[in-house]
Amino acid sequence: MFDFLIEGFGVALTPLNLGLAFLGALLGTLFGALPGIGPINGIAILMPLAYTLGLPAESALILLAGIYTGAEYGGRMSSILLNVPGDAGAVMTTLDGHPLAKKGLAGPALGLSAVASFIGATIAIIGLTLFAPLLARVAVMFGPAEFFALMVFAFSSMSVMMGKDPIKTAIGAVLGVLIGTVGVDSGTGVMRYTFGMPELYDGIDFVVMIIGLFAISEILLMLEHAHRKDVDNELPPLGRVFVSLKEVLACKGTMLRSGVLGFIIGVLPGTGASVAGAVSYTTEKRLVDKDNTFGTGDMRGLAAPEAANNASAAGSFVPMLTLGIPGSGTTAVLLGALMLYNITPGPMMFSQNPEVAGGLIASLYIGNLVLLALNLPLAGVFAKVLTIPRWVLVPAIAVLSFVGVYQLHSDLTAIYLMLIIGVFGYLLRKLGFSLAPVILGYVLGGLMEENLRRALAISGGDTSILWQSGISLGLWIAAIALLVLPWLVPMLLKRRPSAQS
Amino acid sequence: MSLAADRCLGIALMGLAAFTAVNALSLEVPFSYDPVGPKAFPLGLSILLGLLSVVLVIRPGENGHWPDKRLALRLIGVLALLLVYALLFPRLGFAISSMLVIAALARLFEASWPKAIATGVLMAFGGQWLFTHGLGITLPGLPW
Amino acid sequence: MKTTIALPAGLAALLLGASLTTGTAQASDDAECIAPAKPGGGYDLTCRLAANGLLETGLIEDPMLVTYMPGGIGAVAYNHVNGVRTDDPNLIVAASTGAAVNLALGKFGQYDASEVRWVGALGVDYGAIVVKADAPWQNLEELMTALQEDPTQVAFGAGGSVGSQDWMKAALTAKSADVDPRSLRYVAFEGGGEALAALLGNHIQVFTGDLSELKSQLESGDIRVLAALAEERVEGPYADIPTAAEQGYDVEWPIWRGYYMGPEVSDEAYQAWVEKFEQLAENDTFAELREARGLFPMALFGDDFDGYVKDQVAEFKQLAADVGLTQ
Repeated sequence: MFDFLIEGFGVALTPLNLGLAFLGALLGTLFGALPGIGPINGIAILMPLAYTLGLPAESALILLAGIYTGAEYGGRMSSILLNVPGDAGAVMTTLDGHPLAKKGLAGPALGLSAVASFIGATIAIIGLTLFAPLLARVAVMFGPAEFFALMVFAFSSMSVMMGKDPIKTAIGAVLGVLIGTVGVDSGTGVMRYTFGMPELYDGIDFVVMIIGLFAISEILLMLEHAHRKDVDNELPPLGRVFVSLKEVLACKGTMLRSGVLGFIIGVLPGTGASVAGAVSYTTEKRLVDKDNTFGTGDMRGLAAPEAANNASAAGSFVPMLTLGIPGSGTTAVLLGALMLYNITPGPMMFSQNPEVAGGLIASLYIGNLVLLALNLPLAGVFAKVLTIPRWVLVPAIAVLSFVGVYQLHSDLTAIYLMLIIGVFGYLLRKLGFSLAPVILGYVLGGLMEENLRRALAISGGDTSILWQSGISLGLWIAAIALLVLPWLVPMLLKRRPSAQS
Repeated sequence: MSLAADRCLGIALMGLAAFTAVNALSLEVPFSYDPVGPKAFPLGLSILLGLLSVVLVIRPGENGHWPDKRLALRLIGVLALLLVYALLFPRLGFAISSMLVIAALARLFEASWPKAIATGVLMAFGGQWLFTHGLGITLPGLPW
Repeated sequence: MKTTIALPAGLAALLLGASLTTGTAQASDDAECIAPAKPGGGYDLTCRLAANGLLETGLIEDPMLVTYMPGGIGAVAYNHVNGVRTDDPNLIVAASTGAAVNLALGKFGQYDASEVRWVGALGVDYGAIVVKADAPWQNLEELMTALQEDPTQVAFGAGGSVGSQDWMKAALTAKSADVDPRSLRYVAFEGGGEALAALLGNHIQVFTGDLSELKSQLESGDIRVLAALAEERVEGPYADIPTAAEQGYDVEWPIWRGYYMGPEVSDEAYQAWVEKFEQLAENDTFAELREARGLFPMALFGDDFDGYVKDQVAEFKQLAADVGLTQ
């Protein structure tokens, strides 16, 4: 049954392919670490190169898969060190990662997140090896109604993030959803809030949104700190560099749960690393955050999204390899790469091209080991970024932001938009808003609306379609439980003693 | 002061809510296969936003210090610099526009002139090399 | 302290003034293809088809740049070429049937199809009407009969909104059986992949997709293609699929992959590109490249292509009015 995997390791362990896995991991980390430049760019750029170099299909795929997994590792770095997410999956990583760096624990934070990434990815790759064909059948059972229920669940799990200022959290989420409605309506083709500008037809791009909201507003805040010479905002000297075994073990439950959750979300076509990070973070907050330390630099709050986004990256290979349906933008590009080699991923791939399917999975195992080996000892080196003076760091962030947006759009409108969103983000942060609900609203809101309307288009307006299947019913019950239990449980607990007396 | 800021925000958000609602109502839909249509969602959101901003005006929360005049000027300086960068970027090319803007930004963050210029030159040309040769990204080249 | 603000600001103002007069910097004399989309989509593929093809057949010496300019399925790039780089002799832009549809619907802003110079098309894909392998309909006629009886019992799905080229396939198919496209059940997904997944999961019954994206599902026997929306039967693994016309329904939906240039490009530069493409289309190496990208042969260049696109846009305008999309 696992012949393809044995064959795959035979393919992946040749010196050329091992070297390519290493190169891919290294380049991917770099692509992921640079804000705005993500795995899609890396793969789109290197794909033609690999093809022109005449690499065989499995070698090319090993290189590209290395970039993909490497980017998920790299994305966390700027989240932790600069409070600027390096890619889509790393938005939630800023929430506890950056506070940890501010406590002088950048080294351990980088180390822990590398371990979490490794564990999440390993869980997902094992899942991919064992259950891929089975999971593919489950994934297609998720139709619009099920996705809508999933989004309802995600929004209700966000309620734990309300924190000390619930009104502002809610406003932030609503603003995020509103920003997500800009562009061509995916159902009717009607333009919403585009004001006749073709640049807005496709909506506000995720990269523009993240870079503006986080990077540009961070530049402005840094200026403020520099101006005030705030002592409390000066970073403490780098303390210890390595994460301790005790800290890792304290997060083991979080990493395992988030890895499984991230993998499942990654398998579903249409939801990716950003949704995985968000759902796992809020779930863990609900489950383990008894003293309300999430958001202030809790190691578990860092481990959850990191395990989940890496697991989801590997999970999105399931629909690609077994159905030929990409589960994320990046796997869509990988699919294109395979087609260049006249290999069509799909139901027949494991039998027709076992060396490619097996080689890819084997290289995912190897790539993750390489990435862990690369990232753990280097955590201290990367943490040194924090000691770079502001007058070097700020221009560097500015240049990266511009390059990231410009190479995606070749157009100044996107840059202006980024600056406007940056000012907006700065104002929000000054007014005591957290940016995470804005981003979550933006990511989840669109999915929620689209899938609700798709479901009702299928049923012709009959709302019973929304809870007809077992999957959606289960999600609805879970969502309601999430909202009701925190109120209900304390009430029941209170009543019991009073009833006894 | 911070209470007033939240009130201002609340009023601004009410304006935004009204604007989005009016805009949504004025959408012309040739036809829609789903009974919800493209208007309902933005409409619902603007109602929600309106309600939340009413709460914000009535019960404003705490927020941080606001910039004094000198800081505000410097903030505007940074923004203007970034805007200039955007305008120069496709015209002067990546390396030259970056060099100038990096040096100016470094000055705004209190680097000495030699340090600022050295940072500008090294980062701009190093970046040009890294992006085009290392990462294969197409950038606007030199203007000549 | 004050100088830290004043100096850079003054410097910047000076430079800005100087540079605004110099115009856009040219990267180099290398050929460039704008893919009016994000990396990885159909337009990226179109650009890379030309870029790799021209390089591998030796028709150009230096690699062609591929630049991304997403926005409005090509609208941003169309406006860019009509407004900024109007006469660049080294620049081509990828386009397809989807761009023609949007031109017809007036979604490209103030410009229409006669603004730019259409160079040629290098490949084509065809629409397909797809059902699951265990669906009750064995051929197009059975599906159409079911649709005529009760259009609400069959949910169509595809990768685009009302008015997109994916929707057009469903609307035209319905129309050919005298079913009002508005009475359909139609579900818009984000891309053909999601729609295909929904078909496999029994959430929709009919998927109007493109032939090239169906290869692996056809091989595994999970789906049945009721009709190819081509002029005649296509070759290779699709040879067994009947066309819609064969079955008595007048629907064709070729998805061509072509290129245009700016409105003020000189006749020489335009002609040079047309000739390059003509040579390319006859090359065997290129045929392999095209096939690897799942595209079927199409060779239409220069004035022929220009006329083809303009006719198509006019036809789509009529169509949009017929189905009530525009007045």
